[in-house]
Amino acid sequence: MSRLRTPLSLYVHWPYCSFLCRFCAFSKARVPAAGVEHDRITTALLQELRTSLATHQDKELHSIYFGGGTPSLAKPQHIAQIIEAANSLVPLAANAEITLESNPTLAEINKMRDFKQAGITRCSIGVQTLDNQTLAGMGRLHTGTEGLAAVDRAKQLFPGKVSFDMIFGFAGQSLDQWEKELEQALRHADSHISIYQLTVEPGTPLFRDQNAQRVILPSNDLQAQMYEAAVKICSQRGFRHYEVSSYAKEKDAESLHNKGYWQGRQWIGIGPSAHSRYIDPSSGKRISTVRFPDIQRWEQHCDRFGHGTAKSAVISDDDAKQEAVVFGLRMLDGLSNSRFAAVANGQTLENYLLMDQVQQYAHDGYLLWDNVQGHLSPTERGLQVIDSILMDIIP
Amino acid sequence: MLSTRVATLSQRLWSLWLLDKQLDRVIKSTCLQVSKRYATRAATAKQEIDISQYPPERIRNFSIIAHIDHGKSTLADRLLEQTGVISKTSKNKQVLDKLKVERERGITVKAQSASMFYEYKGMKYLMNLIDTPGHVDFNYEVSRSLAACQGTILLVDAAQGIQAQTVANFYLAFGEGLQVIPMLNKVDLPTAEPERAAQQIESTFEIDSSKILHISAKSGIGVDQVLPAVIENILPPEGSIDQPFKALLFDTWYDKYVGVVCLMAIKEGIIRRGDRIVSSHSKTKYEVTEVGIMYPDPKPTTSLQVGQVGYIICNMKSVSEAHVGDTFYKEKHPVDPLPGFVPAKSMVFAGVFPLDADEFSKLDESIQKLTLNDSSVSVHKETSAALGQGWRLGFLGTLHMDVFRQRLEEEYNANILITAPTVPYKIKYRDGTVKFIKTPADFPDGTTMQEYVESTMEPFVLATMIFPEEYLGQMLELCTTHRGEIQNHTFIDESRVMLTCRLPMSDIVTDFFDKLKSKSQGFASFDYEDAGYDDSQLVKMEVLLNGEPVDALAAVMHKSNVVTVGRDIAKRLKEVIRRQLFDIIIQTAANGKIVARETVKQLRKNVTAKCYGGDITRKMKLLNKQKEGKKRMKKFGKVELPQEAFLGILSSKKD
Repeated sequence: MSRLRTPLSLYVHWPYCSFLCRFCAFSKARVPAAGVEHDRITTALLQELRTSLATHQDKELHSIYFGGGTPSLAKPQHIAQIIEAANSLVPLAANAEITLESNPTLAEINKMRDFKQAGITRCSIGVQTLDNQTLAGMGRLHTGTEGLAAVDRAKQLFPGKVSFDMIFGFAGQSLDQWEKELEQALRHADSHISIYQLTVEPGTPLFRDQNAQRVILPSNDLQAQMYEAAVKICSQRGFRHYEVSSYAKEKDAESLHNKGYWQGRQWIGIGPSAHSRYIDPSSGKRISTVRFPDIQRWEQHCDRFGHGTAKSAVISDDDAKQEAVVFGLRMLDGLSNSRFAAVANGQTLENYLLMDQVQQYAHDGYLLWDNVQGHLSPTERGLQVIDSILMDIIP
Repeated sequence: MLSTRVATLSQRLWSLWLLDKQLDRVIKSTCLQVSKRYATRAATAKQEIDISQYPPERIRNFSIIAHIDHGKSTLADRLLEQTGVISKTSKNKQVLDKLKVERERGITVKAQSASMFYEYKGMKYLMNLIDTPGHVDFNYEVSRSLAACQGTILLVDAAQGIQAQTVANFYLAFGEGLQVIPMLNKVDLPTAEPERAAQQIESTFEIDSSKILHISAKSGIGVDQVLPAVIENILPPEGSIDQPFKALLFDTWYDKYVGVVCLMAIKEGIIRRGDRIVSSHSKTKYEVTEVGIMYPDPKPTTSLQVGQVGYIICNMKSVSEAHVGDTFYKEKHPVDPLPGFVPAKSMVFAGVFPLDADEFSKLDESIQKLTLNDSSVSVHKETSAALGQGWRLGFLGTLHMDVFRQRLEEEYNANILITAPTVPYKIKYRDGTVKFIKTPADFPDGTTMQEYVESTMEPFVLATMIFPEEYLGQMLELCTTHRGEIQNHTFIDESRVMLTCRLPMSDIVTDFFDKLKSKSQGFASFDYEDAGYDDSQLVKMEVLLNGEPVDALAAVMHKSNVVTVGRDIAKRLKEVIRRQLFDIIIQTAANGKIVARETVKQLRKNVTAKCYGGDITRKMKLLNKQKEGKKRMKKFGKVELPQEAFLGILSSKKD
């Protein structure tokens, strides 16, 4: 047995999309008319990967996540190259989770076997909704049936390791419609599903539509009902609610990579607009960085400096503690004192949080506080309004 | 070898010489600057204007009174141009309106004075134009200004005719015993109806319409007849230069360089720099450091003497030392003081609070500075459970309040919250004592009311409204719904009606004026004067959030308004209170009875759907911003009230 290595995650941002969704706020670009310069972006990604992982060679890679954009548009051999390059610098753990996001279009589904060969172990499919009119309205180039077919196909290749995304809260959607849609989707589900409320992010076409009152989204009460319906239906179907928008059939099926964000694990992000959070080995300080969002600029920087970092900042101890609570309480399993102490220089939750408020929320059925174990977690009821609660309990 | 050393040496010498030259130049220019500055000062001293050759008979002190927009400031500008006080450039607009608020709103808040020299029939005259504010809120300022004049020009827009304000101003001037010269302005407008306006003047003020001057201040028509008319019709000031010095203080302001500047009308005698003067009121002695006239900016003169109007700077530290209406005399030569002025009476009170409690002391300083220049604002510290430490300020009216707020915000960058304005109600106790209610918190509770209070009283005004006859029905109805008591209505010409009505002051400070304007499509003009107190059945309306009363939202009102206002407030609060994790019940109550009830339903969902790597920074920023916002919320029990809750209630009233 080698000595225990610190876990590290890797996020790879592949910025191109064949279509742009009206609600998407991520950094992305439509595939250029002349096609994607696959070699160019892969070279830049590999360059940034080498530079960024060089100082983390004592760690172990627990997960890699290919997100975007639409990484299923990338060439499988390039995905393979990135995985190999990462592994050669920071060894992959034995059961490492390597996820690729995919659109449920025919072309991309047909590439799945090759992605598997490239090293992908898990697949997350953007089904979003089964309603064809909504899909078209949001700018997506596939149907609901294609979405579910993609899930079925993926299940054959990655049994037990398929997830897909669903969104509720579209304009005009009724509770009844949503319940039926989700029931239908769950009949095709493998072991994991992510269910998001449609969020209107500033700067998106949807945001402009809403401001101009071209679309009117469901009320807060209806959104709450849809959310509650999702929790209930998933539970009936054997999916445990483990994070605000994540459901898994068993513990093993939970997304290791995503849990890393919520549990405060270190990660390196490469590609345009990618964020990283890690402890700098030389200074011992917590660092957060972000790469240039503009693809060309990012590529140029990778060529010249070996990386496209646009900004790097030290995370203060105070911020680190806040983050630990804010993200820890997104999970129904919550946050333990031992995990909090790791970022809080030994401070305990009860020393940090406004305990009067915590006790009050515990009394009102929003939080669970185990003062023997030193463990704080939200109840289902609490999770649903956790953003309100956080403001009261964090000093 | 040697040659290089010589070369280096000579180079060094050369550069030393250069340095020396430069130093020399610097020293010379500095000396030059110093002497220049000195010369300027000396020249200023020499440039003191000598106005001693203007005895009272060659002086006219006059003002212009007019309704807003009837052209008072334009006429003032023309007269100043005509006499060469200001040049004829487009920049010189509203010269006397120095405050930014004044220029923006086209109103005059602070009276200003300007002196002019004018030759008429071979004689040189010193003409002092004393500006007056036009709005009813500033009647106090108007009367101050008028006391320094012997006559006034009543300026009426030939297109709009007599407005309510014209009437009020006329009677104010008439009451001061001033000679009134009516003039019709804007006679060249296509819509002008000078004959009709003249007829209105004749029937309303009993002035012979054939004597009315027709002018256009904008284009200059008839403006050359204005000053001759003033000289011919207005009496020169009285008094004698041989009498001991006696002067009336009628305006002051604070200048950050020289301190308090006092505007005085010299009633007897003469004053010069270096004289020592005494305040009749406080007996404080001051040494005069400068005297002069407003031309239109301060210009020192060798003296100020009987009949003249000018400024005096005398080492006064604070405007609070300068009591308007005070009489000043020379040390060791006391005189009988002139009849003083009625001090400014606050008609409207409002709580003023800093939006951020940390800004309390900064705001305290700003309010002090601003009241230095506006002694008509009364200031009391106030503490509200809801809004923390602040002030209860008394204003002359709602425009005055609004102007004060605007000046605080614009000139002092203040972030403030002003509570709903209230009027000074009176409580008469059985033991004969009378207490003023400046804030709803002072209102007696139920038990006190039953056992000790004899009666509650509220201030009334006598309102004058002028409007076209087709609105008569609506105007009468408006007055009635506001508990108005119609006094009379008169046709001032074939189609215009003047209506006078006794109204509760509290209705004037809320929405009466807005309704008047909208119901008459802007055609009605309105003015009012104080009309004393009357018994009135007053109640305190409380606002409760989940059963807890919120002091800053309480209001005193007439019994008959309770239901309408109660419902209105509950509804408006519902719009601004944010949903929390529980239902929030908003209630308005009076006399222990609930008047209206609204519910802000509980927030059922508040959680960010997506939160992965790239979202963390944004999420934390948002959280901290929201926490900042929450810090500024006022908490009542568990209920959080945003500051907008207070603002929303207030601003919607103005809308």
